[in-house]
Amino acid sequence: MNLLDGFGMDTITMAGSLEAKLSAMKDAGFSQVMLMARDLVTHPGGVPAAVAAVQASGLRPTGFQVLRDFEGLSGHLHGYKVDIAKSMLEMCAATGSKVLLACSSTSRHATDDLDHIARDLKKLAMLALPLGIKVAYEGLSWGRTVNEFTTSWDVVCRADCPNLGIGIDSFHIFAANTPLDAIEDLDPEKIFLVQLSDFMWNETPTFEDRMTTARTFRVFPGEGVHSEALADLVLRLDRIGYRGDYSFEVFNDDYQQLPLATVAERARKSATWLHDNVLHRSAPLPAWTRTQASV
Amino acid sequence: MTLPLTHRESVPESPNRLGLDGIEFIEYATSRPQALGQVLENMGFRPVARHRSREVTLYRQGGMNLVVNASPDDARVSATTDGQPVISAVAFRVRDALQAHTRCMELGAWNVTSQAQAMELHIPAIHGPGGSRFYFVDRWQEFSIYDIDFKPIPTVDQHPEATAGMSYFGVVQYIGAGRSADWLAYFEHMFDFSFVPDDQRFGILPKGKLMKSPCGNFLWQLIEPDPWMDTDESPECLQRIGLGAVDVGAAVAALKARGVEFVESTQLHPEDRGALTRSALGSVSFELVHKD
Repeated sequence: MNLLDGFGMDTITMAGSLEAKLSAMKDAGFSQVMLMARDLVTHPGGVPAAVAAVQASGLRPTGFQVLRDFEGLSGHLHGYKVDIAKSMLEMCAATGSKVLLACSSTSRHATDDLDHIARDLKKLAMLALPLGIKVAYEGLSWGRTVNEFTTSWDVVCRADCPNLGIGIDSFHIFAANTPLDAIEDLDPEKIFLVQLSDFMWNETPTFEDRMTTARTFRVFPGEGVHSEALADLVLRLDRIGYRGDYSFEVFNDDYQQLPLATVAERARKSATWLHDNVLHRSAPLPAWTRTQASV
Repeated sequence: MTLPLTHRESVPESPNRLGLDGIEFIEYATSRPQALGQVLENMGFRPVARHRSREVTLYRQGGMNLVVNASPDDARVSATTDGQPVISAVAFRVRDALQAHTRCMELGAWNVTSQAQAMELHIPAIHGPGGSRFYFVDRWQEFSIYDIDFKPIPTVDQHPEATAGMSYFGVVQYIGAGRSADWLAYFEHMFDFSFVPDDQRFGILPKGKLMKSPCGNFLWQLIEPDPWMDTDESPECLQRIGLGAVDVGAAVAALKARGVEFVESTQLHPEDRGALTRSALGSVSFELVHKD
């Protein structure tokens, strides 16, 4: 039992090799890691070496990201994306990740028919099913049709497939200004991933603003101007019964040029803030209580 | 204007969109084909034909076809577990194999690349649980697929009678912890299997979740590991074959006479409802189930 259990970092936050990132996370006390496909394919030893590095780290994969622009296509575009999805699923399975993150489509070529989108996502979930993988469908705040978690939830309900759920990313909720009341409508068992990050701007009115901020200037929970709202979000998720993982999806150009230990330490502080000040989770019992219990 | 009576309520039909009509064959992969052959012969199966190009033997009794695949590429799955045979494929009889395969691909199945050599049948297949495959066979009424890929073993009766009239009853699949809902959805979506309520059970091993094929010819049982088990050490697989018999007692007696041993404990022992053979070669057991 560890104070940081339930919280993890994303490899995308730090620079350096996969091994260096895993080691920095572990040294900071984390026990899980959100992996990116690029971690595997850019590894000098190739995918098998990257998989071996993940296994050797002892860190549990929170999930694997990210499949983009999958749904709503037709004809050869759809066939092409199915092939891409299969390769992603194979890598996801190789790392032992149980969750594949799929982001809502930004493509002009994709339909806005929610039933068609749901049908494609069900197909993705079926592809993932024999591999033991769940698909977390996340609404990007600049997604063409699905850009709020309320809509991604609608689509997931339409698809009605046990291994298809939603991924929640606090950034996109705050960027799109989605009211948090809709959290109450979610089934906590169908939230397969929650990614948390904060940012420094109060408003991101245009899709352009959202994309630029999302990709270069997110900060850890508690470090930005949306900390109160983020705490509110986490508490609401806790209240409806969400007990899954929280991973820190922090894209930040500054963190990319800081020592890994420094970045991991900021993540640890953020996790501690969530644990102690937001969720008020209890500290693990001291060791002597466990000795007593076993007598 | 009045609506027809049938439109007043939404009554779900039981579709059978693949035109499923039973099991054409079940395949074991093993690097020890002789040893498995002995086990199968004890169970009443007879070797009737050999594959033209690969190390594959067809066994048969009554309406049951069972294929033992020892060709090196396929037997590799078994080699990883000390040569223990594994159920590597189940072939479904369908109305149109190409249509069935195409439909499953559209729904999100993984294709299996055909290994057919010249003049051999290309039987379309998709990946199933673990390393297994599901084949689709449509040419079972007008002629036998085995006539093309297999050569009959000379002097051997090609249609040996089934011991005690046994026939395929179903397949038991071991699944991961908490995976029942996933696999129920998979079989319902892909093959139009339907859920059998928990209070309807057959045989003597009622655990897990049960599904029925849309043709009604066979059952599919999904079993999760017990909560105390280490799930990493129990991969998903097709675990055993269920054989239906009208008179389980007679089947047990006939099989015992051939040297088949049955699990006999206070909780589990042969009875009228069913029986379980002792595991042979570390992994091969058969479940007998009473069938009306």
